[in-house]
Amino acid sequence: METIDIALPQMAVLYGIVVLPWLLLGLIGLGLSGAIATGILRMSLQLALVGVYLKTLFALNNPWLNGLWVLVMLVVADWAILRRAGLKRRYFFAATFAAVTASVLFSTAYLLFLVIRPPLYYDARYLVPLAGMILGNCLQGNVIGLERFYTALRKNENEYLTYLLLGATRWEAVRPYFREAIKAAINPTLAGMATLGLVSLPGMMTGQILGGGEPWLAVKYQIAIMLCIFASTALACILNLRLSLNIAFNEFDVLKEEIVEDG
Amino acid sequence: MPPISGRAHDWASQTVSATLIRFDRVCVSAHGKPILTDVSFTLSTGEKAVLRGRSGSGKSTVLKTLLGLYPLVGGRVLFDDKPLDAATIQVIRRRAAYIGQEPVLGAEIVREALMLPFQFKTHREHKPSERRLIDALARLHLSPDILEQECRRVSGGEKQRIAIARALLLGKNLYLLDEVTSALDAESKRTVLEVFGDPGFTVLSVAHDPDWAACCDVVLELDGGYLTRILRDGNH
Repeated sequence: METIDIALPQMAVLYGIVVLPWLLLGLIGLGLSGAIATGILRMSLQLALVGVYLKTLFALNNPWLNGLWVLVMLVVADWAILRRAGLKRRYFFAATFAAVTASVLFSTAYLLFLVIRPPLYYDARYLVPLAGMILGNCLQGNVIGLERFYTALRKNENEYLTYLLLGATRWEAVRPYFREAIKAAINPTLAGMATLGLVSLPGMMTGQILGGGEPWLAVKYQIAIMLCIFASTALACILNLRLSLNIAFNEFDVLKEEIVEDG
Repeated sequence: MPPISGRAHDWASQTVSATLIRFDRVCVSAHGKPILTDVSFTLSTGEKAVLRGRSGSGKSTVLKTLLGLYPLVGGRVLFDDKPLDAATIQVIRRRAAYIGQEPVLGAEIVREALMLPFQFKTHREHKPSERRLIDALARLHLSPDILEQECRRVSGGEKQRIAIARALLLGKNLYLLDEVTSALDAESKRTVLEVFGDPGFTVLSVAHDPDWAACCDVVLELDGGYLTRILRDGNH
C-alpha cells in the first residue's frame, strides 16, 4: 500500500492551517508572533535538511556514517539539555554526555540486538529513527530532572544545610530533592504510557500506519519504543543527576554558585 | 521585660579552657564583594560569644564561614588548631548545631523532626528512647504533647526550642545561634539562656538582645565586615 504523497502546492496549503491561530494569538497580545513564525520556519528548515540527510544516509547505509549521525544527535541533545536546564556546559557537559549516551545506546542496542534483530544491526532505517525517538524523549526527562533538582536545592538551601548539620552525608542531604526530580522527570513518560492509544495515537504508530504498515505491527513497535523510552529516560536521569553531584558541590558539600547560567 | 535570672547569668564567670575556634585575618567575599575583612578573634571551649553590629555587618557570615558555607579569600580559620578543610568541616558539623531565626524542622510532625537525624547513617545506631525525647523537650519547657503536633502549627519560639532539643539529643556542644531569642517570649528566653549556660557548651551567637549579650564572655563588634572591637569578661 502506497502512502499518498503531499505535493508542493499542498504543502503550501498546509501552512494555511496556522494562519488563523497565529492571527488570534497576535490579537490577544501574547507578543509571540515573531517567535511562532521563527519556530515554524526553523522546524520546516530543520526537517527539510534532515530529509536530505536521511535520504543520503539510507542510500549509503554506512556503519561509520550512521554512528556519526547518532553521535551528532547525542552531542546536540547534551547541549540542549544543559541550556534548557540553565546549567553551565563547561561543568556538566561530560557527565550529561556520559549519562545520556550510556542510557540511549543501551536501550537502542537492547531493542536492535535482542528484539528487532535486523539483518544489519547498523541499518540506518532502524538505528537512526529508533535512537532519535529514544533520545528525544530522554532529552525532555533530563531537562526536567536537572532543572528541578538544582532549582529545589537552591530554593531549599537552608533545609539542605540543616540536613548536613544534623549528620547527613551529601547524598543523604540531597536525597529528598533527588527523588522529587526523578519523579518529575519520568512522570510525563508514565502519564504518556497511561493514556497512549486512549487519548492519542502516538506518532510512531501513526507514521507506520500511514506508511502502509499493519496496525498490529505498528502496535508492537510502539510498545517496544515506549518501554525503551521509559528505560532510557529513567536510567539517564538517575545517572546524570548522580554524576552531577560530583561536579556541583565544593569540598565542603556546598552547592557551587558558578554552575548555574546567569539570568 | 522581667530580668533574666538563674544559671544563665553566670555564663561570663565560668572557667574556660583551650582555644577551640581561631579566626586569623579572615577575609570572605560573596559575588566579588568583600563581606568580612581581616577578622581575627579566638574562642575557647566553654566560652560564650556574641557578634553585634548593624544589619549587613557580616555577623551571620562569621557563623557560616565556620561551617564552610563561604570560601575564604584570605586568612585562615582554625578549629581545634586544625585548618578548615573537608575533614575539619566534618568534625565541626558533627559537633556544631546551627540554629537560625527560622529553624528548618524538616518534617511534618514534631516527633519526626526530632527523629530526623537518626535516619542518617551517622546516628542510626543511637536512636533516642521516648524518655530521652521527653527529657530533652522538658529541658526546653516543652510539653510531651507537642510530639504529635504538626510542625507548621507550632509557633516560631517553639520551633526554635524544638531545634535546640534536637541538637541536645545529638549531644552537640558547639552552638552557632543566629538571633535565636528574637522569636521568644521572656519565659522561653530564660529557658534558652539556662540551657546554653551549660559549661560544656561553646556558643558563638548573633544577637541584638542586650540580655543575651550581658550573659556572654565575649562581645565581638562588627561594622562593614571589619571587627571593630572585642570586649571580654564583663567589660561590656
